[in-house]
Amino acid sequence: MTGAVRVFADYRGDSVEDADVVVVGSGPGGAVVAKELAEAGHAVVLLEEGPPFTPDDFELDVAISMARTMRESGLRTTLGTVMPTMQAVCLGGGSVVNSAICVRAPEFVLDEWCERYGLRRTTRADLDPHYDAVGDFLGIAPTPEAVLGRRNTLFREGCNALGYSSEPILRNVRDCRGSGECFTGCRARAKQSVDITYVPAALRAGARVLTSARVEQVLVAGGRATGVKGRFVEPFTGRATGSFEVRARAVVLAAGCMATPVLLKKSGDLANRSRQVGENLRFHPGVAITAFFEEEVDPSFGATQGYQSLQFLREGYKLETLWAPPAVLAVRMPGSGHALKNRLARLPRSVVWDAIGSCNRSVGTVRSRRRGFSPRLSWRLDRSDVPILSRALYTLTEIAFAAGARGVTTGVQGVPDEIHSLDAAQVLRNKDFHPADFVTGGNHAFCTTRMHGDSARGVVDEFGRCHDVENLYIADTGVFPQCPSVNPMWTGMALAHRTAASVSDAL
Amino acid sequence: MLSATLGGGFVLVVAISTWVLVRVFWGHGPPVAPLQSLSRREAAFVRAAAATIFPAGGAVSPSGGEARIAVHTDRWLVRVEPRVRLLMRLLFFLVEHATLFFPAPGLDGFRRFSSLRPDQREAALEGWRTSRLGPRRLAFQGLRAILTMGYLSHPPVLRELGLAPRKVEPGGPLASEAPIDPRYAETGP
Repeated sequence: MTGAVRVFADYRGDSVEDADVVVVGSGPGGAVVAKELAEAGHAVVLLEEGPPFTPDDFELDVAISMARTMRESGLRTTLGTVMPTMQAVCLGGGSVVNSAICVRAPEFVLDEWCERYGLRRTTRADLDPHYDAVGDFLGIAPTPEAVLGRRNTLFREGCNALGYSSEPILRNVRDCRGSGECFTGCRARAKQSVDITYVPAALRAGARVLTSARVEQVLVAGGRATGVKGRFVEPFTGRATGSFEVRARAVVLAAGCMATPVLLKKSGDLANRSRQVGENLRFHPGVAITAFFEEEVDPSFGATQGYQSLQFLREGYKLETLWAPPAVLAVRMPGSGHALKNRLARLPRSVVWDAIGSCNRSVGTVRSRRRGFSPRLSWRLDRSDVPILSRALYTLTEIAFAAGARGVTTGVQGVPDEIHSLDAAQVLRNKDFHPADFVTGGNHAFCTTRMHGDSARGVVDEFGRCHDVENLYIADTGVFPQCPSVNPMWTGMALAHRTAASVSDAL
Repeated sequence: MLSATLGGGFVLVVAISTWVLVRVFWGHGPPVAPLQSLSRREAAFVRAAAATIFPAGGAVSPSGGEARIAVHTDRWLVRVEPRVRLLMRLLFFLVEHATLFFPAPGLDGFRRFSSLRPDQREAALEGWRTSRLGPRRLAFQGLRAILTMGYLSHPPVLRELGLAPRKVEPGGPLASEAPIDPRYAETGP
């Protein structure tokens, strides 16, 4: 039977559903689990707190867009080292508003995970079949030349001139129009986000999908998860109305590495004998340069993030091209008044390139608040991780000048507002920076319900099974034991694909 | 002697309190446009800060005022979560009133930000931007980000920068060949 996505207007009063499996969260992890289990013949209920979006719903005004699609209106930040971090709240989760970057975690990273966290079946060879399954279904492919745009090809030219490896980014995109609007939602419906791929497949296989349904508690009886309960919430206002309960033989939490630990805490500190729920929060802090050229670049045209260099992964950073609404990019631009206006006027001749740092020594926590379901995030950029970011910025600057840039801004305190030569950029290599000197953003977040072979040191095993509670699984990036060093979506989906198999086997 | 000292102290406290109340609550201009969320005082601050960060003239024609940043901020405030709204309001209040305690240059620098002369406002914001204290710089970045959201969503600004969104649709032309989205076109709504 093929169902439809239920929306807020469909709900009348309270509701109770029965299922084999209830999946909490419709992002990349949850959607994979729902589709795989529904196709395996299980009765699946997929719950999502946010509403669905169609191309007509996507706002071009980035402030309004963030207020509609992101948790805490897109202005969530960590305390400690203050860093913005965005999590989506909509059908399809982060896949609706990310750049569709798909990268397999490097072999050396997964080997380290196995060695340090007592994992036996999480090598690259173990995960490759799961990566393949997800990749085939989404049609993951390299960014085509026709939609690279000058912003991406300049990056390639700079890397080539320096002998650095670079490549078009693999993305879950079909028939890209090069609008550079990934961040506010793809109006061309080219991005194969899970709301238009995995969720419809789950529906076709008989899954029930309820949006605007906020799960507030995991139900447990006799040490076994027996379902979830929560409230229906009005889109955009969050006003709670009727309540619902889903009784199930297995519960899969895929609400994201910030919402899942909050839900466990709110459920009586569930699955936390290891004391690791909400601990170990890690990010890939991102830094970026704006490079100004003499030629017209038309930076708004082209795949949002179409080119990358993986050359420096072992040194702790990955380099990418970037586009986002100008208002977001301008946050890192130094200056005020006419100096700022002068830089804005040069935007058509500029590119923005970013780096994400694998900052494993910088850790934090996710705590629940007494009221509400927003997490309290605490995280500190460790001083020993700072050189990763400054070196990454230097390398980006080097690539920019090799590509013909005339000036570069980094937004780093203690670095001239605009650098005009590589000599002037040496400050990035030589200065002892403080964490607060950087303008960072961290949208890749992990490790708050980490997997570990030892039940005393982790929340789940490598198949996503909670050590402490039977029939309870986790399938989001919270299970990563460390930073994956590359964009996490594909790895999260591969692990979720494997978790779905372990749930199916257990039912 | 004691009562005279107490009396003098009382007068001093009353005088300072009156001065603070007048500086904080009196003399804001009338609202320029009907606003749903920003108070008259907040709107006066946002307009003043917008005009300082995006002054008239220069490399991009519209000023912060012409870009109707206060209206955009108001529209945004209506849509954000209450906790975020409170934080944004606190930020406005902080920057607006900081110059009552840490004055802008000049003998008349002990004023609310929105009551300062343009050159004093510029100096005050530069103080926030280049402060050695990380939290002060962060407050400036937060304020500038809020105002920039408004400035760079204004269709004439985006058109002038050549960054107005294109009309994008499934199977349509590449964005580089597509016309400007009607909402951002000169003849648009």
